[in-house]
Amino acid sequence: MAKYVCSICGFVYDETEGIPEAGMAAGTKWDELPDDWVCPLCGAEKADFMKQGAPSTDHAEKPKTVHDASLDMQQLSPLEVSALCSNLARACEQQYKAEEADLFKELAGYFKSVSAPAKDPNFSQLLDLVEKDLEQDFPNAKAAASEVKDRGALRALTWSEKVTRILKSLLHRYQKEGDALLENTGVYVCTICGFIYIGDELPEVCPVCKVATWKFEKVEGR
Amino acid sequence: MSVTKKYAVRNIRLCTKDCLCLYVCPTGAADTENSIIDVEKCIGCGDCADACPSGAISLVPFEYPPQQPKTESVVSTLNTLLRSKAKQENIAAGLPGKLAKAIEKSNRIMAEDIIREAGYMLPQSHNTRQFLQSLLEQNPEGFPRETVEKLLTVLYDQKEDKQMKENKILDNLMEAFAGESQANRKYLAYAKQAEKEGKLNAAKLFRAAADAETLHAFKLLEVAGKIGSTADNLKDGITGETYEYKEMYPAFVKEAEAAGNKAAVMAYTFAMKAEEVHAKLYQEALENIDQTEEVFYYLCPVCGNIEKFVPDKCSICGIPGKKFIKY
Repeated sequence: MAKYVCSICGFVYDETEGIPEAGMAAGTKWDELPDDWVCPLCGAEKADFMKQGAPSTDHAEKPKTVHDASLDMQQLSPLEVSALCSNLARACEQQYKAEEADLFKELAGYFKSVSAPAKDPNFSQLLDLVEKDLEQDFPNAKAAASEVKDRGALRALTWSEKVTRILKSLLHRYQKEGDALLENTGVYVCTICGFIYIGDELPEVCPVCKVATWKFEKVEGR
Repeated sequence: MSVTKKYAVRNIRLCTKDCLCLYVCPTGAADTENSIIDVEKCIGCGDCADACPSGAISLVPFEYPPQQPKTESVVSTLNTLLRSKAKQENIAAGLPGKLAKAIEKSNRIMAEDIIREAGYMLPQSHNTRQFLQSLLEQNPEGFPRETVEKLLTVLYDQKEDKQMKENKILDNLMEAFAGESQANRKYLAYAKQAEKEGKLNAAKLFRAAADAETLHAFKLLEVAGKIGSTADNLKDGITGETYEYKEMYPAFVKEAEAAGNKAAVMAYTFAMKAEEVHAKLYQEALENIDQTEEVFYYLCPVCGNIEKFVPDKCSICGIPGKKFIKY
């Protein structure tokens, strides 16, 4: 009998105990769990779990750091500028500077409004980008940040990588289940790290960044 | 230990209205109808934060430290991710449904966090300032220029701060001027005393030092920008003398009379009457400022009265007119 740990939120699946309340009797083996089973706490896929005590294969092949030419301000797209402005608006709010926060929000709104809409958007484009992030850009950025011991960058990368893996899991599920995935259930976004929660009973804290879930925002349909 | 100047802020979400802050605040800054602590009144003592049972009050600095530096490799790899997250936000924005909306938001939040760690943590930082200035330079059509200008003003223009510092400098200059001026008169008085005692070397030193203090006083007044045109200076003289004879000395005389200090009453009275004469003479001089015909003034060496002719005797203190000094 073994235990499997969710690499995103730390939830432990114990084969000895199973999850009887969810129909998995004590003694249900990991391999017997359906392939589309997800972490009951954060929604991570089975592939995001690791057997407890097993050596981690995560860092077996560390990709080399790729240094892209740094982007200067002129090269930022309107949407990137918008994110920069809304980030600064948050920073102003944290400093209790309401007037400055409103001004940055206004700029963020302006730059979002002038951003050209995506051409023929679809969900598989999202999945492609998510996979590229996880395979290449997160490892690169993490290697660069580790090299210079930039704890702030590592923190942001850890959170957003986990959230990106959750997005990947959600996109996979959505491919299979379609809109049934979202029927009669709430959808929430953590306003601190971007974690998406599907369900009605919120955990106490965010599985990724551990903020209290009153910081979650409920997403209404459009 | 931190010596940064701070002020208290209240997180209204955490506030449980126990109101201990109101009881302990020495200046009443915490007691406002909108629950926002009054920055003007707050002295940054931190008593409210210590007293708050809900941890709803914290102290934030007026000036933030410089941002932690970022290495280029970290910034460039983060920017690559930022670009990807912005793309995903854009794609999700064009898709229907709750999930797409959640993905749009999620990517925005990640993009914000990533760019924050790529060197844009503080709105007060040099990076942010440069970013705002670059927006002004590019000036794309229809973009809210005034918003950026306003931000640059409120975040970086420390006009008020500068004004306060300049006011302080002026106060210091005038305080130094007052000190040097007093020292000059004091040393002259000491020199006279020394001469009376026959201590001529000490008298000499006092006179030299008195002259030195005069030099200092002149320089200070000049730096403070308090020396104007002669017309302005005459007006200033009128204001000063008028205040002294109408307000200051009358009050002093009353106090000295009440205390029965006859010497003080006499000194005040002489000065008060002389100042009135000075004010009148300044007024006359101002009216005839372009007059070229030479005028002579005669000073009473006892009470400070000034006349434009030699009187039989001083109209204020009564000494014989022949003792007057001609100017």
